[in-house]
Amino acid sequence: MLSRLRYIFRETFDSFRRNATLTVASIITAAISLLGVGLTLLSQEGFDNLLSKWEGGVEMIIFMRPDVSDDQKALIESSLNENSQFIESWTYCDVECSIAESERVLAAEPGVRDLLNESNIPTQYKAVPTEATDVALLRQVSDEFAGGPGVFEVVFAEDQITLIEQLQSFFGFRLFLLSGFLLVAAVLLIWNTIRTAIFARRREIEVMKLVGATDWFIRIPFMLEGLLHGVIGGALASLGLGIWNSQWTRGVQGFPENSGFASLVITNGYDKQVMLIMLLIGAVAGAIGSGIAASRFLDV
Amino acid sequence: MIRLENVTKSYSAEVVAVKDASFDVAKGEFVFMVGPSGSGKSTLLKLLNRQDRPEKGAVWVAGRNIVDLPSGRIPMLRRNIGNIFQDYKLLLEKNVFENVAFAQEVIGRPQHVIRQQVPAVLDLVGLSGKEERMPNQLSGGEQQRVSIARAFVNRPLILLADEPTGNLDPATGEGIMRLLDRINKTGTTIVMATHDQRIVNSMRKRVIQLDRGIIVRDQARGVYE
Repeated sequence: MLSRLRYIFRETFDSFRRNATLTVASIITAAISLLGVGLTLLSQEGFDNLLSKWEGGVEMIIFMRPDVSDDQKALIESSLNENSQFIESWTYCDVECSIAESERVLAAEPGVRDLLNESNIPTQYKAVPTEATDVALLRQVSDEFAGGPGVFEVVFAEDQITLIEQLQSFFGFRLFLLSGFLLVAAVLLIWNTIRTAIFARRREIEVMKLVGATDWFIRIPFMLEGLLHGVIGGALASLGLGIWNSQWTRGVQGFPENSGFASLVITNGYDKQVMLIMLLIGAVAGAIGSGIAASRFLDV
Repeated sequence: MIRLENVTKSYSAEVVAVKDASFDVAKGEFVFMVGPSGSGKSTLLKLLNRQDRPEKGAVWVAGRNIVDLPSGRIPMLRRNIGNIFQDYKLLLEKNVFENVAFAQEVIGRPQHVIRQQVPAVLDLVGLSGKEERMPNQLSGGEQQRVSIARAFVNRPLILLADEPTGNLDPATGEGIMRLLDRINKTGTTIVMATHDQRIVNSMRKRVIQLDRGIIVRDQARGVYE
């Protein structure tokens, strides 16, 4: 057993040495494609973080007309309570509260703020939805309240949520597609490297077969070689991803807190999980590429 | 040890390499397969170690018909058959010891057995002291001796030799034949394809003559003709 293991490792590293250029090329391709996969996963997690942050802050605001009656307010409150499957909680912002808020929100626009007073300022119901990133649901709930008695307008951050969802979908899909193509390229390059390695060693393989080596015994060093291409590619990609993530994290620290970019930082250890996933994908891609080549081209 | 029953092997409709060949080879026998190039000698050797399969007939080796041998059993068959080639088929980046040890490593022999058996077989073929030499530092005759050592190190029941003296000068070829004769005397069956008339005539072993794939002569203690 020890003798076989020694043989397998020796032959694997001999093959690495003999096909140095192709080996380096296939490792680099594997690394780049796996880095693509890793960046896709990280960017999706970043967008998820951003959406989660929005989810915590999203409110649907029902502005009431200044002349709203107590009965109309009671109807709205009753409706908010009845829709508990969509509305997690709500608060009422009366005239005093609304004036204070206008002071804050319209601080940069004193002309507009001065137009508002106790007699014309709309009071507000601020409702926290249960599912704040589901734009369609938010729209449905908002439409339901928009036609209610005494309601002036219903608003929620529809545009921002839609934009983030579109960005997530746009980048996520395209990066996923790109990394998929790169991954196929990596498998093909590993496959070709192993095929070349088999061709370079056809004389040895012929001798091995004639002295009674089993096909598996001949295949294993080649399969191990491909597996190592994938794993080394995965390790390099993990290193690249770690550097990228640390540079990104440092870079966005200077952005304003409310710009959203701060939420695109991965700090919960997810990057380590992605690195592990990249190593595993690299190993699987390498094993598949080399396994197919070693099975198909062994009859030299 | 070997039995062929009505074996036919063709590579295309026009190229019939072996046609309806039948013969027996007893254990410990030394048989020359003679005939011009393209007469089917090498094909017969390939049929004996299952590098090729015939369309018709049966090939019995050590009591087993190997024509329908499952591919997973072929390595076990080949561990009982040594192969010697005209071009030696040595691994150029391995030294003499490693070339011979390779045949043991690939079938999983432990290192202590390899360390014991490789020097013994190198001594048998007259290459003691040249273990560290690379193939390109050896003469043709020495390279063929390494090839024989590699074929014999696992003590096969049968040795198949395809023109083993084809690339050697007469004196060196004679040395190789003396070595094969010594190996044959240990009980190893040897089937050797050759068109070296001088060697066949001097050895006076059994001769099977082929002509365009057909056995035209099978003679004990024969000559080349």
